[in-house]
Amino acid sequence: MKNLTRIAIATAAIAVSSSAFAQPKPEAYVKHRQSAFALMGWYFGPMAAVAKGEKPFNKDELVKATALVATMAKLPYDSFPVGTETVGNTQALPAVWSNNAKFKELAAKLSTETDTLAKLAAAGDEAGFKKQFGVVGGTCKACHDDFRKK
Amino acid sequence: MTKPATDLISAPVWDAFVRCFHWSLVTLFAISVASGKVGGEWIVWHMRSGYAILTLVVFRLIWGFVGGEYARYGSFLTGPMRGIKFAKGLLGKAPQHVIGHNPVGGWMVVVLLLLLATQAGLGLFSNDEIATTGPLARYVSDATSIAFMSRHRWIGDGLLILVGIHIAAVLFHVFVKKEGIVRAMFTGRKDLPPDLANEARSARKASVPLGFLVLSVAIAAVVIAVNWSALFKP
Repeated sequence: MKNLTRIAIATAAIAVSSSAFAQPKPEAYVKHRQSAFALMGWYFGPMAAVAKGEKPFNKDELVKATALVATMAKLPYDSFPVGTETVGNTQALPAVWSNNAKFKELAAKLSTETDTLAKLAAAGDEAGFKKQFGVVGGTCKACHDDFRKK
Repeated sequence: MTKPATDLISAPVWDAFVRCFHWSLVTLFAISVASGKVGGEWIVWHMRSGYAILTLVVFRLIWGFVGGEYARYGSFLTGPMRGIKFAKGLLGKAPQHVIGHNPVGGWMVVVLLLLLATQAGLGLFSNDEIATTGPLARYVSDATSIAFMSRHRWIGDGLLILVGIHIAAVLFHVFVKKEGIVRAMFTGRKDLPPDLANEARSARKASVPLGFLVLSVAIAAVVIAVNWSALFKP
């Protein structure tokens, strides 16, 4: 009887834990990745004025913003599972899945370049920051050109 | 029946404003295309060349009403019958002498001008959702800016195709039809049969002061539009 009780408890535990970590719905994946991109844009966009020399280089503000951009840049790319190709208002092109290797490559590049941007801001390197800002923007665009709806 | 080349007389056709407009536009269009494709730190050049293109196009659109004779729409826009007749003549190798733009090319000019104006206009309101927004994006909704950005991309591709067709047509006229139209757009002069040459010589010339006035108006209009937010703070 003891063994049967153990089995019953184990089964119940598995059932409960499975439902607690149930697979997210496709719409939730789309919402997650779009949110990550939106947050990345929120912190990245306003820095353009600094990069163009129209706004002064405020190290503390930029350290904060670039750290958030670097964090957000790592979030969306795990939310492109098969089954989310045409869900909701996704702007993803089929190429994300048909050319997934290239997509992952560009995701990794974004991660690297946004990390570099954060390092340059933390080091107070104004000239380096301005150049790298353009590099990050170019990395965003490179992926959009092939993997995002026009 | 083709005339021997010695029967052609050099005559003035393109005023200096049209010629400067054309070749400046070629340069600026190339810059806009290249900087738009590369993006990143080159986007600022995309926008600057875009503003310059808008200025040139505004100038040319007005100049088509008040410029030298062959800059004017009245001189080169014709109905479909003339266009079809001219198009049929394109199938042969004989030169088809026309003083200014030919009946088919003339319509291409208008299409290109309107498309360039639209493209620059859309750019002013666009948002690329990376780090670049047009100077007038703040006056429309985000959804509008994003939709305009999409149209700006598509029309950009459309313009590349049309410019490609334009270049192919020009090369056809130069090398197959032996009509020296590229040289004419530099020097302003075309070699024409005597009757056309005489007509061109006595045609209305461009008014230089008026040309500079129209150019000033175009520059002012674009400068004001681009800087609207700084000029008209609420």
